[in-house]
Amino acid sequence: MTDDTTAAEATDDRVPVTVLTGFLGSGKTTLLNRILTEQHGLRIAVIENEYGEVGIDDALVLDAEEEIFEMNNGCICCTVRGDLIRILGALMRRRDKFDRILIETTGLADPAPVAQTFFMDDEIASELRLDAIVTLVDAAHVLPHLDEVKPEGVENEAVEQIAFADRIVLNKTDLVDEATIEQVVSRIRAINTPVEIIPTAHAAVELERVLDVGAFDLDRVLADDPKFLTDTDHQHDLSVTSVGLDVEGEVDGDRINEWLGGLLRTRGADIFRSKGILAVAGSDQQYVFQGVHMLLLAEGGREWRDAETRRNRLVFIGRNLDRDELERGFADCLMTAKVAV
Amino acid sequence: MNATITATDSLWRQEVDDAPVSLSAAGDLVAIAGAAGPAWVLDLGTGEVVGELALDGGSLRASLSPDAQHVAVTGPGGYALWRRSDGRVVTAATGLWSQAAAWADGRVAVASGRYARVLDADGNELWATEAAASTVTDVKWLRGGRRLAVAAYGAVRCHERHQASPVATYPYVGSHLALAVSPNDRWICSGNQDASIHIWRSRDGDELTMAGYPEKVSRLGFDDTGRWLAADGAPDLTVWDFSGKGPNGTAPRLLNAHETITALAWRPGTLGHLASGGADGTVALWRVTNGRPEARQRPVRTFELSDGVAALAWAGPQVLVTAARDGSIEAHRLPDRNQL
Repeated sequence: MTDDTTAAEATDDRVPVTVLTGFLGSGKTTLLNRILTEQHGLRIAVIENEYGEVGIDDALVLDAEEEIFEMNNGCICCTVRGDLIRILGALMRRRDKFDRILIETTGLADPAPVAQTFFMDDEIASELRLDAIVTLVDAAHVLPHLDEVKPEGVENEAVEQIAFADRIVLNKTDLVDEATIEQVVSRIRAINTPVEIIPTAHAAVELERVLDVGAFDLDRVLADDPKFLTDTDHQHDLSVTSVGLDVEGEVDGDRINEWLGGLLRTRGADIFRSKGILAVAGSDQQYVFQGVHMLLLAEGGREWRDAETRRNRLVFIGRNLDRDELERGFADCLMTAKVAV
Repeated sequence: MNATITATDSLWRQEVDDAPVSLSAAGDLVAIAGAAGPAWVLDLGTGEVVGELALDGGSLRASLSPDAQHVAVTGPGGYALWRRSDGRVVTAATGLWSQAAAWADGRVAVASGRYARVLDADGNELWATEAAASTVTDVKWLRGGRRLAVAAYGAVRCHERHQASPVATYPYVGSHLALAVSPNDRWICSGNQDASIHIWRSRDGDELTMAGYPEKVSRLGFDDTGRWLAADGAPDLTVWDFSGKGPNGTAPRLLNAHETITALAWRPGTLGHLASGGADGTVALWRVTNGRPEARQRPVRTFELSDGVAALAWAGPQVLVTAARDGSIEAHRLPDRNQL
């Protein structure tokens, strides 16, 4: 972990990139068209999977065929999207600059390589920042997709896309009754507890709720997330869940680094997203992290306020998470644990 | 900086109306590709525009034929060929990503999606390779144009003329971004997304990985003698010595002038003179024989462009052409072919 990016983060003028995922029929194209036609005065570039779906003056629409590349760096789940590296690289060399970039992925695409591309490629990271993963969900049809039992080793893409999301646009709420909406929301929360859910019809979502929201901005991790630590004990039957920890006290910097590093190294394939704010002993600053699989961004956050209780809040979203194991592992990092050992 | 900053002897300066991404020089011509798609052909002596073409969807590379009679421009949506004799432009809007082109013996190999296509100088296809594992990232000729090396994900593959399937495959799991082949065809090197250089001895595929670069290696090239391989991938340029049994077990020379390297070009000749450019607009000139392995050396001299360096190309040993991001193209004259 490094904490040397604080200064750079203060004046972040990198172009925000939104990743838009969702199954066919969830309303992605409607949302994309809305974003491109609304009078927002922004220059937007769209990278999408098929030509000709959208085509609007003033916007550049580029075609991408998904190419997933493994990285030879010993990180088993570390893959990047070669097509995006290429397209974004060419986009960055153009004289006309874009205010926003949108990457549309198909309903079958794995969001991880898309997100990891922004962690792994320095050239891209120098000019572009991953802003948020926005997943469109069709309220009327998502439940059967989530319940679908896949063969061993095959991902349920609908579950994965919800697990990765920073924002969920729950679309087509006009087509279902209240009870179904509640059921869908509860299923989404069971997978991804802290995610912000935006119910809507006809993909009519306010753009500022999905574009340039700073979901990967470490300063904003948890800042607007009251549901972050909802207890998830009753969802052990689901294979993809969230585990939130909220523990008072201070952690030992070395031990937390070792634990978190080891956890992501060994369990990173199963842990889709992780984020947290930590109180590290001896530091007046919060320590903030945000991860996708094994890759982690971490840095010093704001200073603790005088009367504020030093506490640690973390969330892991992933497959086969063991709350007890995570609680125990974290407890060993607490300063008080030193006395007990 | 300790090095001397010298005003260069400018032959001419020309403005183009786009952000240049690539330069190519041959004979008495210079070709420039612009990011948004336009390309220009300039007279090397005067800087005057003698030809223009454009690609829809942007340009990535301009490649002049060695006889200066043709230009290939490749881009995200296809490629185009310009013919000097009558200015004719043949465009192939394939909708496929064309990253690079390479000329040999009156023919041009063009990367086109997952294929490499070999065309005659008028754009007629002579033959094509079978599909690679991913979009082709670079093409280079070996054996005077009789063998074509094609880089894509997972391997560099060599094809004999008119043979779709490769005659030699050099596998390495990773995304190969750029190719360099030593002038004697002994070494095939690729710069990689995983921040390494991979090296094969072409004869037997014996391989070597130079890992530990902080960033991906997307530019690399041999000098005319084939002794030196220069590469980016770090703030310092690395220069590997391929003399004798090759670079195995050796340390590279480190050339320190830039924060972010955006261009490198060997001066034609046998003196080990190199030009490099940085995102900050600095052009640095190096004599790589000055240094020792592992030691950091400073440029012989540097000069500044009006904006970040977009591309560099030598038009013979005495003229260095520079392109800045703001569209200014300049030809700098070096009076002494043995001095920088």
